[in-house]
Amino acid sequence: MTIDAAAYVGEWPFRALEGTVADLATTMRGNRVRRAVVSPIEGLFYTDPRPANERLLRRLARRRNLWAAPIVSLRMADWREQFATLADKRRVRAARLAPAFHGYRAAQAGEAADLAAELGLTLAVQIRIEDERRHPPFVKMRDVPLEDVVALAAAAPSTRVVASAVRLREMLDSAQHIRQLKNLWLDMSHLDGLCCLKEARDAVGARRLMFSTCWPFFYARSAVLKVAEAEMPAREKDAVMGGNAERAFGLA
Amino acid sequence: MIIDIHAHPGYSHSLKGLREEFRVALGVAQQHEVDRICLSSLANWEDSPEPDRVRSGNDAVLALMADHPEVVIGFCYVNPRHPQEALEEIERCVVEEGMAGIKLWQASRASDRRMDPIAERAAALKIPILQHASYKTGGNGTGESTPADVASLAARHPQTMIVMAHLTGVGERGLADIAPYPNVCVDTAGGQPEAGLVELAVRRLGARRVIFGTDTPSRSYGAALGKVLGAKLMVRQRNLILGANARRLLAGRITG
Ligand SMILES: [Zn+2]
Repeated sequence: MTIDAAAYVGEWPFRALEGTVADLATTMRGNRVRRAVVSPIEGLFYTDPRPANERLLRRLARRRNLWAAPIVSLRMADWREQFATLADKRRVRAARLAPAFHGYRAAQAGEAADLAAELGLTLAVQIRIEDERRHPPFVKMRDVPLEDVVALAAAAPSTRVVASAVRLREMLDSAQHIRQLKNLWLDMSHLDGLCCLKEARDAVGARRLMFSTCWPFFYARSAVLKVAEAEMPAREKDAVMGGNAERAFGLA
Repeated sequence: MIIDIHAHPGYSHSLKGLREEFRVALGVAQQHEVDRICLSSLANWEDSPEPDRVRSGNDAVLALMADHPEVVIGFCYVNPRHPQEALEEIERCVVEEGMAGIKLWQASRASDRRMDPIAERAAALKIPILQHASYKTGGNGTGESTPADVASLAARHPQTMIVMAHLTGVGERGLADIAPYPNVCVDTAGGQPEAGLVELAVRRLGARRVIFGTDTPSRSYGAALGKVLGAKLMVRQRNLILGANARRLLAGRITG
């Protein structure tokens, strides 16, 4: 079963996206994606992402195949309560942090990682959304260093940690550390280059990689074809397409 | 028929290495049923290479054409900052050796007058120019064309067929810049597979002016094809983008 480990819904201020829940459902059907883990785009921009999360959860209410990864800003004094509230919701499987958007470093998320484990939430960390060459001049955002997320996962071995939108170069540079961790998964939506998935798999192992589209920013078909073209055993592809996400997000 | 209008041999500095890299690329391309690959050197990825570097880069493409005549279509890379050598290289690679297009990267901008003799020669030979272009929000490099530079070249040379590279990199504004010039198409090569851009290009330019490309090896065949196969298009439009437009542009140089 194919699971999209990182999709988003909502509006993006810098260009028009077709990113409603209904659009997502159509895209998933067209690409044979059965389930998806979804975050609200607006939550990246709100000082307190809570209203964006609440809207997302209302929109997902009748979609049984969509799970939520609401966004939490650790700059909010009540982020611990937000974690607890989210953990109580049946549809929520993860809390997504966007340190670059909310103005802190991934290295400061240690306590959040511990609390996530306590509450049974997966902690997803957004490395980037867009290519920096496309950032509007007034928000040149720095990518979150993957090594910081790797260190976060290493320091919280009982927390399931997901690094979203990782590039191949970053995976190769941190491969040695990633291979040592059983609680860190990487989503593949931003991998690119000839044989990128195969290279990533050779570096970090197939069990660490998750199919993800970064829809509606990217065409979902691109992610599907990147997996299709990768020279990997079928059981590894199955793991990438869904088995790993089941473990990473506790979806089984 | 699927034609990749924009690909490079690889990162290696030796022909042996490039042959090996291209063998892998060819395997992936064939898996996706890509029939023809337009290959251009970037002369060791230097911005403004000396003429001998330009020649050795093109030699590698000629070797790959000879290795895979049924697949590889060569594009002759030149540096307009060496105008005389650029024209000589076009004679050697296109007229004598059978390359089917000219590739320009970021040695000088398309608006630069040193481009004129190259554009005139391309028109006379009825071959397209594949011109790198981008709108970087942090500003382009000195020799890196914006779509406005490409539009200026197109306006000066209405008989020259130009493929402006990188739909993702030029974005909506880039499409607007070239829209008035029917001798310019845009390729889908390079950049992340940003959703909606292929449909936008078709709306702004018409499907006959949008051409599939990958920019492999820096981009994946799957990601690049996903842009066209994932876009909301009619079958006729998709077929134009994937192959028919390139075939028209490379008139007579593609058999089969
Ligand atoms: Zn290129």
